[in-house]
Amino acid sequence: MVPDNTQEEDKGLNTITPITVTHPEQVDINALRVFHEPARMLRLTIEDDRSYTRIKIVRAAPLSHPDRYICFLDAKDEEICMIDSIEQVDEAARALIREELDRRYLTALIERVTSIRNEFGTSYWDVETDRGQREFVVQNVAENAQWLGDHRLLIVDVDGNRFEIANLEALDKRSLAAVEQVL
Amino acid sequence: MTVSAFIENMPDEIASKVRASAGAKERALIQVATDMAGRASFGKRFLVVTDQRLLLLDSATDDVDIPLTQIEQVRSDALIGGGCLEIELRDGAPVRVYYSNSLTPKFAEVAEGIELLIQGEDPNLPLELDRTHCAQCSRLLPEKGGICPGCIRKRDTLKRLLSYMIPYKARALLLVGLTLVTALIELVPPYIAKHIIDDVLTKDGDLGLLYLYVGLLLGLAVIRWIGNVVRRWLNTWVGFRAMADLRADLFRSMQFLPLRFYDKRKVGSLISRMNNDSDQVEGYLIFDAPFVLSNATMIVGILTLLFYMNWQLTLYVLLPVPPILIGSSLIWNRLQGYWRRWSARWARLSTHLNESIGGIRVVKAFAQETREGERFNRRNHALRDVSVSAERSWLVFFMVTNFFMSFGAFFVWYFGGVQILDGQLKLGELMAFISYLWMLYQPLKWFGDFYSFMVRAFAGAERIFEVIDAQSEPFEDSQATPIPQIRGRVHFRKAAFGYDPGKTVLRDIDLEVRPGEMIGLVGRSGVGKSTLINLITRFYDTSRGSVEIDGKDIRSLRLEDLRSQIGLVAQQSFLFNGTIAENIAYGKPDASFEEVLRAARAANAHEFIIGKNDGYDMVVGEQGNKLSGGEKQRIAIARAILHDPKILILDEATSSLDTPTEKKIQEAITRLVTGRTTFAIAHRLSTLRSADRLVVLEAGKIAEVGTHEELMAREGIFYDLLQTQQATSAVMATEH
Repeated sequence: MVPDNTQEEDKGLNTITPITVTHPEQVDINALRVFHEPARMLRLTIEDDRSYTRIKIVRAAPLSHPDRYICFLDAKDEEICMIDSIEQVDEAARALIREELDRRYLTALIERVTSIRNEFGTSYWDVETDRGQREFVVQNVAENAQWLGDHRLLIVDVDGNRFEIANLEALDKRSLAAVEQVL
Repeated sequence: MTVSAFIENMPDEIASKVRASAGAKERALIQVATDMAGRASFGKRFLVVTDQRLLLLDSATDDVDIPLTQIEQVRSDALIGGGCLEIELRDGAPVRVYYSNSLTPKFAEVAEGIELLIQGEDPNLPLELDRTHCAQCSRLLPEKGGICPGCIRKRDTLKRLLSYMIPYKARALLLVGLTLVTALIELVPPYIAKHIIDDVLTKDGDLGLLYLYVGLLLGLAVIRWIGNVVRRWLNTWVGFRAMADLRADLFRSMQFLPLRFYDKRKVGSLISRMNNDSDQVEGYLIFDAPFVLSNATMIVGILTLLFYMNWQLTLYVLLPVPPILIGSSLIWNRLQGYWRRWSARWARLSTHLNESIGGIRVVKAFAQETREGERFNRRNHALRDVSVSAERSWLVFFMVTNFFMSFGAFFVWYFGGVQILDGQLKLGELMAFISYLWMLYQPLKWFGDFYSFMVRAFAGAERIFEVIDAQSEPFEDSQATPIPQIRGRVHFRKAAFGYDPGKTVLRDIDLEVRPGEMIGLVGRSGVGKSTLINLITRFYDTSRGSVEIDGKDIRSLRLEDLRSQIGLVAQQSFLFNGTIAENIAYGKPDASFEEVLRAARAANAHEFIIGKNDGYDMVVGEQGNKLSGGEKQRIAIARAILHDPKILILDEATSSLDTPTEKKIQEAITRLVTGRTTFAIAHRLSTLRSADRLVVLEAGKIAEVGTHEELMAREGIFYDLLQTQQATSAVMATEH
């Protein structure tokens, strides 16, 4: 299901009661520094204020807004701050953030479907992904596939591995036919 | 040490690399493969740990070789869709080993094993992990340690369905016999018609012969009619009984399934299994299955007769059959796909229906009726579209086969006509032939139709069997120790648990609770308080360590004995649709009315109950929704009091109630708690004042233990929590 976009509805209401959020406090984006220190360990410093080691970077909405609403968590998983868009930080930090996100979100994009066998409500997939060839098992596809748009599909296998078809229509004919068989 | 699941086989190339760097003296203690080559791609990489070093190898060149003394810490880091073994070194960048979620359980153990190794202890790895592949056919299993669907197929769904007929063997056999006889009788009339035409009508035959033939026809019709009536009567008799048995099995399995099974599935879809799938199977058993037999008999019988009468003409009749078969097998997969999609969309529609009717208050409160309607329409249209597509494909299939079938008739008329003109064939024979022809196509066509029902019914049956076969809780374990009288000592020994492998919720829980002691569980939400309780009720088993009751491992005790002596009062009391008295006596159905009364009094419920029009006979409605929250709560307490548990669990039992009601409930709870080992979770810390000891959980571990006073004096986590709460309620109080 596509998350509802409530922004349009908000436009109609021009008298929104203001709500003050005090936590986490607003952080000046220009004061944010993301770097590796010590080696390969992410560190976040808010200049002239404080610094965090072993930070975690997560997406607030990994499926609908992968490049926006990036949250920084401290070692205890508490939020330090959030940036609205990855574009707001400088080139070097952006690369680091991308790398970290890439590392954290192990969703493989299905590029081609070699075969799907369906037996007893359980389907056995053999696919080519952007991360290489992979076989996986999905129990009850109807329950474990989530539509992220009209043609975008997220499939979670029995172990909780995640596979995404970015655009069903863009698949080759054979792959599409195979997928439609089980959907 | 025995060979464990953590010594895996490695390709020669890797093995020789290990020998090259570790030499012959070092023994590999852990030797496992990951399924990710790096952070970004699938592939193989091998992790070998000896008593001296840690090696990370693949067929590429950049291998890692680290002396164990260099390792600072190893932990498994849960990522989304996988995980990462983070090996921190004393100096230098950490080494990371990535793996997909399929291997998370394995690497969670590996991380702990290496940690123990670098501390100089035995890695102490479990010998076996849950099986992920079928032992027989090595197919990936749909569930860990589950049943292999490939191997179950050999057991054959049909055979299994038929096994439900066994209790009704005599009638089932009679049914089969009658079906065969009536089918064979169907074959006779055209043959008599042939004789009427050839021996009476086209000759100057005598009227006596006509009487005889017509009499025969009439007799056969009567026999056939009686046969059919008896057959159908038997059929429904056996079919509905078998179906009721199957449904009973399904329901029983659902009740005995572990909570883990329900965690992963939507309740709606399970209910749809009960409804739709059993409907499909019922329809099949009662309306379709009998026809298989009669139609198969008909087809064989007719073909035999046709070949016997005129084999050349028969071949013409059969000419359209191959294209029909080829065509149907071509279209078949597509049709099946449509049907599957149809049932998936139907399930989605009914889930939505369930939700929006069940949550009608919320829908109305947010004025979302229109949007719910639109959402429903979207699903409704999706269902409509797939129904139309399925039906359209089916129609095309049907038309084409029909068209080909009618070709058979053209052939027979033409070639039969020629043979009659040549004098090789009599008119009666041709007429009989044509009658048989239509009789043959009818069951053939039906078989195409039938196949779809059969596939649907079998899919339904498989889904039902899947639930029946799912591993149920070990209620019937004959090895289990009976424990009819629990004294109430509860002992956690280094217990650890996670709902998902690799994501530990509780770790290192060491806690000994005396019989009759009241323990208050404190901590932020999500810290694992309810999880701790789930381990006592054995809704889940520990992944490491153990929970003991009266000095015995909980896993060795009879589940029925255990659960029947544990009482639960939760925040949301669930009542069943029935009278108040029935609900109070739920845990002890044979309780006398006096006992019910006493329990209600003790729970401070008596007063409000007698205020109701029907008193104790009041029907509480679905989920008890005719009662207020406080009333439901008191009934739940009465239920627990009557149940007389030795171990009592209060999960937020007093939250969300107004003060006078809460006072009454507090009073009731105080009566209930006396003399029982009690675990209480309460958000409002002040309500835990009466607890003998408080246990403060933080990050899945026990952080503080002590009495209220002790913890206050300590000024630790509990003190902070209480301070914050008092400050908040002070603010709330001034605002009101």
